[in-house]
Amino acid sequence: MASLGSFILLLAFVVCTYAAVISVVGARRRSTSLTESGVGAFYLVTALMTLASTIIIHAFVTEDYSIRYVDNYSDSAQPLFYKLTSYWGGLDGSIMFWVFLLSVFGAISVRLNRERQRELIPYVVAVISVVMMFFLFLMIVHKNPFATYLTQTPVDGRGLNPLLQNFYMAIHPPSLYTGFVGMTIPFAFGMAALITGYVDDSWLRAVRRWTMMSWLFLSLGLTLGMVWAYEELGWGGWWGWDPVENAGLLPWFTSTAFLHSVMVQERRSMLRVWNLSLVILTFFLTIFGTFMTRSGVVQSVHAFGEDTQLAWMFIVFMVILLLVSFGLLIYRLPLLRARNELESWASREAAFLVNNWILLFSAFFVLFATMFPTLSEAVTGERLTVGPPFFNKWMLPIGLALLLLTGVAPLLAWKKSTLSNLRYQFAWPTLLGMITAVVIYALGFRVWVSGICFAFCAFVLGTLGQEFVRGARVRQGATGTDIMTALVGLVSNSRRRYGGYIIHAGVVLMFLGFAGAGYKLEEQVLLKPGQELEIGRFVVRYDALRQSNDDQKQMLTAYMTVFEEGEFAGEMYPARWFFHKHETEPTTEVAIRRSLSEDLYITLAGYELSDQTASFQITVNPLVNWIWLGFAVVALGTGIALLPESTFAFAAAKIPAGAVTTRMLVIAMMVTGLCVTFTRAEQAAEPQRVIVVRSPLERELQRSIICMCGTCGRKLLNECICATASSMRGEIGELLDQGKTKDDVIQYFVAKHGSQEPLAMPIDEGFNRLAWFFPYFVGISGALGVGMVTFRWSRKAGESVPPPEETDPQFETRLDDELRNLD
Amino acid sequence: MMSSGTSTETSTFSPWHFFTLAALVGATIGVLFIEQTSLAGLILLSLTIGAGALVGLGLYRTLRPLTDSALIEVTEMVGDRTRAAVEREKTLVLRSIKELEFDRAMGKVSESDFSEMSSRLRARAINLMKQLDIPTPSHRDLIEKELDFRLSDLKAASSSEERNEQVLGIDVDAPGDDTFSKGVCAECGTSNGPDAHFCKRCGEKIIASVVTGKR
Repeated sequence: MASLGSFILLLAFVVCTYAAVISVVGARRRSTSLTESGVGAFYLVTALMTLASTIIIHAFVTEDYSIRYVDNYSDSAQPLFYKLTSYWGGLDGSIMFWVFLLSVFGAISVRLNRERQRELIPYVVAVISVVMMFFLFLMIVHKNPFATYLTQTPVDGRGLNPLLQNFYMAIHPPSLYTGFVGMTIPFAFGMAALITGYVDDSWLRAVRRWTMMSWLFLSLGLTLGMVWAYEELGWGGWWGWDPVENAGLLPWFTSTAFLHSVMVQERRSMLRVWNLSLVILTFFLTIFGTFMTRSGVVQSVHAFGEDTQLAWMFIVFMVILLLVSFGLLIYRLPLLRARNELESWASREAAFLVNNWILLFSAFFVLFATMFPTLSEAVTGERLTVGPPFFNKWMLPIGLALLLLTGVAPLLAWKKSTLSNLRYQFAWPTLLGMITAVVIYALGFRVWVSGICFAFCAFVLGTLGQEFVRGARVRQGATGTDIMTALVGLVSNSRRRYGGYIIHAGVVLMFLGFAGAGYKLEEQVLLKPGQELEIGRFVVRYDALRQSNDDQKQMLTAYMTVFEEGEFAGEMYPARWFFHKHETEPTTEVAIRRSLSEDLYITLAGYELSDQTASFQITVNPLVNWIWLGFAVVALGTGIALLPESTFAFAAAKIPAGAVTTRMLVIAMMVTGLCVTFTRAEQAAEPQRVIVVRSPLERELQRSIICMCGTCGRKLLNECICATASSMRGEIGELLDQGKTKDDVIQYFVAKHGSQEPLAMPIDEGFNRLAWFFPYFVGISGALGVGMVTFRWSRKAGESVPPPEETDPQFETRLDDELRNLD
Repeated sequence: MMSSGTSTETSTFSPWHFFTLAALVGATIGVLFIEQTSLAGLILLSLTIGAGALVGLGLYRTLRPLTDSALIEVTEMVGDRTRAAVEREKTLVLRSIKELEFDRAMGKVSESDFSEMSSRLRARAINLMKQLDIPTPSHRDLIEKELDFRLSDLKAASSSEERNEQVLGIDVDAPGDDTFSKGVCAECGTSNGPDAHFCKRCGEKIIASVVTGKR
């Protein structure tokens, strides 16, 4: 079977080459039989990749450990579900899975558009085939998942990494890959449009749904990654600005920008070069993200390890990709002149421009900050860390600006908003935002970022509510129905607009969750059985530590009782699991007590079996569940926006939307399941309250120094639960007890590790100054660029619009009739 | 499936039937003769054989266009196709008008902007409606036209592949015959289908084109 698999990959490569060449030749000669054969070959690749996939899964299920990949990523004790998902558990298989998805998506998109986009199809086939050739080439020469052991076949496999044996982790990569791979389709169509010169809006229409769907899956993938980090890694947070997370976020930024600027092109025929650039950039970033995680150029929790050969292959491919695609774009520039101009800054177009600028800035900033340690090591030879504090410093204001824009943009008119217009539109939302700000201030919540975020959330919700209500009123006036019917009619009639608004509402909910992090409480504490700790409204008592076993693992569980406001609230069982064959990397099984207002989150960090003492990380995460809830709303909105206008997309659009909601339903059910409180336990006699004393300075230092153990993903000291972190926390405590200042402590750690690596942010001096300077530079030059483009557009505004030609009154009446009948 | 809409023979047995059967037979044999008996293994074995059949079908789909000169996409009728595209565009323009009116009702477009944008869109919609008003040739006309073509073909005794395609309206430039130059747009020089009324690239009306099928 293994040699058959290798052969199929080889064959797929050959067929891809054939498809690419024959399609281009056929298109140039205008020979239908050749292009048709190319399309056929494209389908053949899909079939071949399906075959290769079933073969590798078959090997996993039948435990064929003569194949290295199977041996490395599964064992016989693994449940069937994880055997299936081991397919994409490692580097080689994930590349193959990538090609498989790409071939399937490519085949579907070609099939759906083969009549409408007849001229583009041969080139679409060629572009996708070339991309697949690259990945197939990687597999054939370097990372063949079907490679076998030459000599001895192992009796049992080594098993999948226990961290990956989690439901969310099993479905997170396919979702993320679906998003990544889906972005290839818009790229292929954009390229085909550039090659053929048919650069009107028709290619956009062909890819809009694909982009939306890929965007949804990308968002789902990112959210699942967050859920996974929250539940499995056990550090109490959901986003650590890890390079791999960032890799998924980069194309998300650019594709979000694309989804917005598409509207400007449709409405006003502007930004056509820009949209093509965004599509190219998005695709490039998906490849770059893959490169970042597969080649080991950056250090990360879940990168696949260092591989220079692979890195070079990727670099060559990316350089060619950039040269060819932007070269084509420049070549076609004369065809892409904007037909309209920007008339006023107070217009929807201008808001979209600002939105694009912010999103692009975010993408470049994250890219730069992620790559900075690599850059710095190459230039100065010093390894450093760009950690969460650095990202947050920039991304907090950026996120807030974006949130504000979400509320402002829908209120602006296309072309030009007049002053009375603005007053009419902004009155209510602004009022709502201000009231919220005052109320929050009065209630004494004094974390200013979160406070502003709440006010902005209120403002955006006000905007959205106003849009829905006013829209329904207008429709009510036009159709004469009651307001609810009008509302339903409104949404079903312009699904993209109102779907978009619902997505925005979901984003607002997510922002609520993000803002909640400003009120997070956390403690690390060492407890003996019977001792208890007070945190926020909760008191947590540690009762006992027990040990149990099953086929796959040994489990160490702490039994804890929780009291809320003095009342018994339930029991919680944080645990650590030691998988056989992976005893050195125990997994952290977090105990979470969920509610809409906050999560109580307990991690078992360390333990001493002899005297039953255990150390815990206990966190109260306010509003965190709103993030997941917000995503459910986002998915719902995308589903509405994707609902078909024509029947062809019916199947393509409906299934993912439904699948997502059911998934969220499952999550919701699990949430409620976890919320169910357990029966009341026996009260232990006279518990002893533990009070953790930490000075503000100590907390601050713990937040600015990272754990240096090398395996936990460079967590901040206050979040990491490994032994290294705990001893480093001890060091800080001792140094402070000796009366050392903040700078002394930082100097101590820099000296100890020989570089600035333990610091979460590089010190602002020498070469590192670049890290601090660069975001300003990008931001300002981006603003200048936007300004210049606008200026050039506005200059044309003087030209008069030719008056429309005289029309037949008979046709005018017919048009009015048709318009009336459109609903 | 990939092969749908491709068979021109009178037989209802199309290629994918053959490959489905082959997959079923193959899977049955595979399941009967394999030694290991885990359920998941057997299911995956069957799936693998099914994927193998899919490969066969793909291969067939790749090679047939090269050998079969009478390859015809039955679903492609140029008259209908252009019509559908124009209809679609008209719907889009109508929707844009609706949306614009809605925006005005919501107080988001100023009166002058509205009248300018609206008149532009309305002119475009009316233009499209005029295009749609020209009747498409009926099936009878098309059949007659095709018959004529085949007859003249016989006379000329030159049966080229391109011509067959041309009859059914696939855009190919075939030199020599004056019928084919009809589709060339006077404005931008793009070649269109022989019965196109408007250029597919620039939208200009094609003067030389004759609507009815009879010659």
